[in-house]
Amino acid sequence: MTENKTKKEPNVLTDEPGSPKIVEAPRYGCALSGAYEATVGLYGGIPLLHSGSGCGMSQLFGANYGGGQNAPGDYGGSSTPCSCLVEEHVIFGGEDKLRKLIDSTIQISTAEFFVVISGCVPSLIGDDVDNIVSEFKDKAPIIHVNAPGFKGNSFDGYELFFEALATQYLKPKRKRKRLVNILGIVPFQHIFWKGELRSIKELLAKVGIEANVLFGEFDTVEKIDKIPAAAYNIVLSPWVGHKTAKLLEEKFKTHFISFPGVPLGPIQTTKFLRKIAEIIDINQDKLNDLITSEERRVYRQLEFAGDILQFDVPNVYFGVVADSNTAVSVTRYLTDEVGQLPDIVIITDNPPEEFRKDIVEAITSTDEIAFTPDIIFENDSFLIKNLLQNRPFLNLYASSLESTYLDELGSTHVTISFPSFNRLVLGGNYAGYDGGLNLIESLFYDKAGPL
Amino acid sequence: MQCNYELFIRNGEKMTNINVNNELTEDDDKFVDLSKNTCPTREQRANGINVFFGKATELLEHAKTGDLKCTDRKFSQSGGCLLNFYLSVRIGTIRNAAVIFNGPVGCSTSALGYREVFGHIPVELGRPENYELKWVTTNLNSDDVVFGAKEKLREAILKTDARYSPEAIFILTTCVTGIIGEDIESVVREVQGDIKSILVPIHCEGVRSRIMQTGYDAFWHGVLKYLVQEPKEKQEDLVNVASMLSYTWQDRIEIKRLLGKIGLRVNFVPEFSTVEQFKQLGEAAVTAPICPTYTDYLSRSLKKEYDVPFFLYPSPIGIKNTDEWLRQIAKYTGKEEEVEILIEEEHKKWVPKLNEIREEFKKLGKLIAKDGKTIDVLGSLGQGRLVTQLPYFDELGIKSTAAMAQDFDTLLVEELEDVVNTIGDFDVMVNTFQAAEQTHIAKHENPDITLTCPFQGGAWKRDGGVTRIHAMRGDALPWSAQSGYSGAIAFGHFLLQSIQNISFQKTFAEKTTTGYKDWFLEQPDPLYYAEKGK
Repeated sequence: MTENKTKKEPNVLTDEPGSPKIVEAPRYGCALSGAYEATVGLYGGIPLLHSGSGCGMSQLFGANYGGGQNAPGDYGGSSTPCSCLVEEHVIFGGEDKLRKLIDSTIQISTAEFFVVISGCVPSLIGDDVDNIVSEFKDKAPIIHVNAPGFKGNSFDGYELFFEALATQYLKPKRKRKRLVNILGIVPFQHIFWKGELRSIKELLAKVGIEANVLFGEFDTVEKIDKIPAAAYNIVLSPWVGHKTAKLLEEKFKTHFISFPGVPLGPIQTTKFLRKIAEIIDINQDKLNDLITSEERRVYRQLEFAGDILQFDVPNVYFGVVADSNTAVSVTRYLTDEVGQLPDIVIITDNPPEEFRKDIVEAITSTDEIAFTPDIIFENDSFLIKNLLQNRPFLNLYASSLESTYLDELGSTHVTISFPSFNRLVLGGNYAGYDGGLNLIESLFYDKAGPL
Repeated sequence: MQCNYELFIRNGEKMTNINVNNELTEDDDKFVDLSKNTCPTREQRANGINVFFGKATELLEHAKTGDLKCTDRKFSQSGGCLLNFYLSVRIGTIRNAAVIFNGPVGCSTSALGYREVFGHIPVELGRPENYELKWVTTNLNSDDVVFGAKEKLREAILKTDARYSPEAIFILTTCVTGIIGEDIESVVREVQGDIKSILVPIHCEGVRSRIMQTGYDAFWHGVLKYLVQEPKEKQEDLVNVASMLSYTWQDRIEIKRLLGKIGLRVNFVPEFSTVEQFKQLGEAAVTAPICPTYTDYLSRSLKKEYDVPFFLYPSPIGIKNTDEWLRQIAKYTGKEEEVEILIEEEHKKWVPKLNEIREEFKKLGKLIAKDGKTIDVLGSLGQGRLVTQLPYFDELGIKSTAAMAQDFDTLLVEELEDVVNTIGDFDVMVNTFQAAEQTHIAKHENPDITLTCPFQGGAWKRDGGVTRIHAMRGDALPWSAQSGYSGAIAFGHFLLQSIQNISFQKTFAEKTTTGYKDWFLEQPDPLYYAEKGK
């Protein structure tokens, strides 16, 4: 690229941050939902909902099925212990019901870590949940997340989960130089969470760093206990997990470093590793060897897609509809390494105002193109549908909501964001060196040729 | 084979002697009062319960003596509420309407599948090519909870009307609007004059009732109060069928086919129907059930308000129940002669197929049944399936030594009594998606086949047959049918397949964990945590 290209200011439209007035099908749940997603994301974590009886059932259809059509496991969905509050509790209080629920859950359940999550009802009727939970502190590892639905969305709920953990449960630990925590990936809400966390863990292990990823891991209590021992917190989101990282810094003096998304493909992954090497001592030769061999491997491998990419979709315009993390990583990969043209990027996770400039910057700071895509912060599915009409893109990377009107758009579709009802996600992901290969494979799954 | 055929005829004859409850008693009648904002709860209306384990005869005794008890559980699981089991998932599929969830953002996440539920049904099978579905949330936040959300609802209604121009707007209430005392009706009264859309408030606050089936009644109440129109003229060939998510697209096709053959049309509500279809509910010749517990409030109200006759039993599940279901409809539409010809024709085609399945079960029974004879199935779902599934299993030559129901109330007492008289006594567990209790009963009854759904947690991990109770309506494949004659055959094959290979559930029983400790699963009482006698 030439040095003297002109860059226009990106065309950015924004929705109403916070709690907008009316929205069609926003792509997240409430604060209770985020706390539930974090708890069920722990193997052996059990949510105990102090709420009406529908709050777990709705996670089944919403969080779990929406999060890559996943079953909720032993402790989630309709198996979620719940105080099932009704009118008489609204009048007389639900504290006794909750006490019985916690007591019986500890008796009956094979879970290891107990997370009491208060929903809207106890907040409105003024139950003293902290007090009841404290009665069980010596009986099982237990915390209380006060997460009434009206307090925020799933991403807020994720932060509330960690806030409860940090203030009620975690104890300071001696720092371990090569241990890091990974933050910013919300189970189910980021549909590739299981694979992304495993990929990052394996990547860092190659340079001698132990990543405590918490979610999708066995020995949950042990993993939780060592959170304060980490030398660094690594946040893989331009905004989610930042609050938690700051709290952990305050409480346990763990510094954090953040990235605008989960590194996807060789350029982002190498940059990620080099950045980590600036803060944690990594053997430089070992790092260089790894980068060289991994890049050599995946570029040679992607060469097998050379013909289909060049002859089927050369310099194609593409659209993205996703949460911030995913939108940044996917857009930059296709722009920086595959020669494709970002047409429109719609960010659907309603990030707070203060983070939006950085998200736009993360998308537009590429040197490869002299134009900027339209970047739109929008969580309203009706408006998103309208925004996607009559655009030049031919490939769309979006949620399964967009998969229902492809004929109108004349586009192909890859499900990369929540909700993902049409795509089962077990361990698949686009993280790390192989992420690019995997994304290109998804693009052409069942529609590659013949040329 | 001839012998089996006679069995159905015999049972069929017996069926005609049953006193099918289509006459309203004074007691039933008083509960439908459309001048009220909403329905009574099932607890108030029909003495509904969601906790029982014991013999069917015992349950009947309790029902007759007015002794049904709806007690709390010390350990309870999130089995769904009035809003978030059914209404949230399916009301958003009503065409040319819009839904407003008046609550925090979480109350509507289970509605995110709205565009996809019916989206993948082939147009050739009857899905309209172009349709739009819409729902919005008012996104109530902390300020709204403190200062009230009346303005937000008003704004949401105006914006929804302007944005979509829907024929109707359903307003679904939540725990939050209920507890902070939002006066939904006053907003509706104030705004209705300014907009074209008909506003339909539905009182489905989760905290209203322990029996989530109250949500069905709350929905129908809104439909009846605001949408159903005074009949202009009776449509003598129109049959109302209210069907819910557990009945599939194929079931619709079958019902349409059968009634079409005797010159009748079907008005399927509410899922994926148009607003116009609700308006004409009062013009139909009869309201027929697929799921009686779901349809009950609608049926009784249409009778009371517009003199549309109804029956609640049987549902068209199995051959003889389908025969009787068709005969009931024929009675109200003057098709008594045509229906006998239809039944005869259909029997010629389907009964031999059923007999083949029966033979297969007989062979398999000798090979794999615990008692070396008859395959034992643990099934049912709602009380509607309880009273229709067991006679159908009898037709297949398989048995149920135990059955489950989400709820039980006094609405189907005679029907259950008849089932007991026909097939003998059996264990009944009443619970609304209490996964621990269902895992317990599956372990203790240890049937040859257990029928599960996604709401039963780990009950499926076992060394034995497992298959689904039903599909969701999005499944348009012929093998998912359960209703009518083709459904009786399709589901028979489905059950046969379930005992041909158990490697999936057996592997998971061996290789993964279970959610409950051994002591609970080993002690004898599935209702260990129910607060009895309260």
